[in-house]
Amino acid sequence: MTDLAVQSPHREHHPGDGLRTAARGIGQLLITAGVLILLFVVYELWGTGFYTAAQQHKLESTIQKQWDGGGAPDVSTLSVDNVPLGTGIAVLFIPRLGPHYHFVVVEGTGFSELQRGPGHYPGTALPGQVGNFAVAGHRTTYQHPFKDIAKLRRGDYIVLETKQHWFTYRIEDIPGANGTTVPWREIVAPTAVQVAYPVPDQPDPGKAPTLKLLTFTSCHPEYSARERYVIHAMLVSDTLKPALPKALTTKPRS
Amino acid sequence: MYVWIWRRLPGGVPGKLLGCLILLFAVLVLLFKLVFPWAEKRLPFNDVTVDPTTTTSTPSPAPSGAPR
Repeated sequence: MTDLAVQSPHREHHPGDGLRTAARGIGQLLITAGVLILLFVVYELWGTGFYTAAQQHKLESTIQKQWDGGGAPDVSTLSVDNVPLGTGIAVLFIPRLGPHYHFVVVEGTGFSELQRGPGHYPGTALPGQVGNFAVAGHRTTYQHPFKDIAKLRRGDYIVLETKQHWFTYRIEDIPGANGTTVPWREIVAPTAVQVAYPVPDQPDPGKAPTLKLLTFTSCHPEYSARERYVIHAMLVSDTLKPALPKALTTKPRS
Repeated sequence: MYVWIWRRLPGGVPGKLLGCLILLFAVLVLLFKLVFPWAEKRLPFNDVTVDPTTTTSTPSPAPSGAPR
């Protein structure tokens, strides 16, 4: 930056000066490009989290007010079409990911909804309902709610708090269609929508479900979006608040 | 490029340094507030959903009846 030699009035022109200037210009351009890319990585991995943190804070106080205010019915009694995009629908707890892990799940899986937190696939079942409560979440950016999705194991609990209920799901193999079994963890192509069907991996999306399921999707491998990491769980208990569910009062098995 | 900027900043070395800081700050704000949010929507690595039409990160409307 402080190339003082260039400022000297007595500077004579030598052959090759033009070449030198050009080389320096290209060099600076390349360094600038490198710094730009590094800054972009900083923004993605770290900067985006500030936005999500602020949004989650807002969602949390809004949902708490709704719950305290009476009026609105519990989300598990609503029809799937009656939830406005972008609103918080339930609070998600995953004991395996730490006692402080919690996120407000937002309705919708568009870019702007997923910026605010894990997003519920519109049209899939709501917490506690028959069908498949399907949720997508970021793994590396926007406070990465599903950063440690690969640490989840069979038998781990996933808890959803609604206005009046605690819905506890357990990660396990799901009985699929025609006597098949859907494994508790799948790695699938980004187009594999069937993982979020009411009966997962069933060829017919309209097949009537009988079980109360939960499905998570996130990107895979970490820092890539070539595939999707999928977790399935089944409802094992539905308790009324305020007493905490067992999954939140006992430590996860090591 | 940087030499060119440095020569045009006024106020001697302290003024030039101050000018550099202000310019740097302005560029960072521009990048983090406008350029990066714009760019990330066009890059695929924020895709976390299963979607029959996944090509880029542009979310598509759900086909009626079926979850996407």
